Amino acid sequence: MLDKITKISHSVNFIGVFDPQIRTFDIIMKTANGSSYNSYLVRGSEGIAIMDTVKKEFSQDFFNRLELLCDYEEIKYIVLHHLEPDHSGALIELMQRAPEAKLIISARAVMMLKGLIKDDIYFEVANTGKKISLGDKTIEFLSTPFLHWPDTMSSYLHEEKILFSGDVFGSHYYDERLFDDKVGDFAYAFKYYYDHIMRPFKQYVLQALKLYEKFEIDTIAPLHGPILRSNPQHYIDKYAKWSSDIKFRKHEFGKKMLSVFYMSSYDNTQKMAQKVMEGADSIDGIVASMYDLASLDESNMIDLLEESDAVIIGSPTINGDAVKPAWDLLSCMAYLESAGKVGATFGSYGWTGEAPEMLHDRMRWLKFRLPISPLKIKLIPTDEELQSCFLFGVEVAEITMGKMMEMEI
Amino acid sequence: MVNIFLKDDNIKVKVSNGKTLREIAIKTGASMEFGCRVGDCLTCVAHVTSGMDLLNDKNYKEDRALEILNDPSTDLRLMCQCSVEGDEGEIEISYKL
Repeated sequence: MLDKITKISHSVNFIGVFDPQIRTFDIIMKTANGSSYNSYLVRGSEGIAIMDTVKKEFSQDFFNRLELLCDYEEIKYIVLHHLEPDHSGALIELMQRAPEAKLIISARAVMMLKGLIKDDIYFEVANTGKKISLGDKTIEFLSTPFLHWPDTMSSYLHEEKILFSGDVFGSHYYDERLFDDKVGDFAYAFKYYYDHIMRPFKQYVLQALKLYEKFEIDTIAPLHGPILRSNPQHYIDKYAKWSSDIKFRKHEFGKKMLSVFYMSSYDNTQKMAQKVMEGADSIDGIVASMYDLASLDESNMIDLLEESDAVIIGSPTINGDAVKPAWDLLSCMAYLESAGKVGATFGSYGWTGEAPEMLHDRMRWLKFRLPISPLKIKLIPTDEELQSCFLFGVEVAEITMGKMMEMEI
Repeated sequence: MVNIFLKDDNIKVKVSNGKTLREIAIKTGASMEFGCRVGDCLTCVAHVTSGMDLLNDKNYKEDRALEILNDPSTDLRLMCQCSVEGDEGEIEISYKL
């Protein structure tokens, strides 16, 4: 009975487990619908491959399912598409039960394996193009790093056109009906998962999709949530769209977006922001905009940051610190890719004036390119000082447009 | 001083002997990615398209990690393990995949 329920193709069975009660995943994700830790068994004429394991506390369910379908001696390969503990939790025990099985991991997983599992384990590394044979079945590997762990890889079962995509195309969505055409409406969970897990790695999503293009895909078997078999291309198209939306916009307008975020208590930082914005906007190819942080909520911040090629932040200094909304803005970068965006900071101050430097330091750790030093002005800016704000905007905009940054360190 | 051109960010930087690539990346804000910073995770692998002789020799960790990666390119280095060794010349680095 179990066999029948979990068969996803002629030679592949689902042997994952369900976690209907989980409500927060990895500290940061809300999982209103629970989740599943998917694992698959692929049977060939000359042995079996186990594709990923499950979270440790669910090991017994996993082994129960597995034992209904095979003997441990039949297992030829254990494949881990990435080593995150929710998929590697039963690995050690599985290797003890199936000592003849070869472990297959990606190159980037090698050192991680030692960090997670403190024993020496024999493994083989799979780079793009490596194939393993189960007799009448062939599994080919694809290196799809950073989705969402550095060591993520995917694999493709040629004979049955199944893509084992790792966490890519996953959803935290518990539903024992298992297939996208049988379960409830998981569109929200699918998008939420993308936004929280894949969005910071868009360029890597696009690279992975390019690799997937080479294969005809009938079924996508991800590591969480429904198995996507009704129209896999629909989900691939969604990922492609979400990962390239912004680029299309930029190309459409042929412009670079520069955003000046500021907060002001006595209009001084606001006056600076206005001039910085005007300076930036005077450069061809730049669209500069100003946003008062007092009126932005988090989702606006994330969208605006994502669209911006350059981010300039202005904050007064209050009690020796930048204002909280400025820190809130930067905390949104956790959802985004910041490497390569240009950054700069400024602010008016009355007493100590640390805020621009503090924000500058934080942006450096977030991998912004910071071509110029923070700009600080004591209290009310003079006309001359406002002119320096204008030039500050010009400089940041020129760098954003590709002017060579030259420096000595 | 050695001139380093970080191609992917259009950054030219003059540095003195002994500077690490990690420090250079932080100070210039280059979009070079780093992970573990100890030569294990391969996140910071990059192509040194010229001036390889102006960098320190590969250490055993780097050799081991690059061997595992098994990429045929001969100009790969782990940026977290590299520092400038020399007083004059040009280095060009590309770190976008």
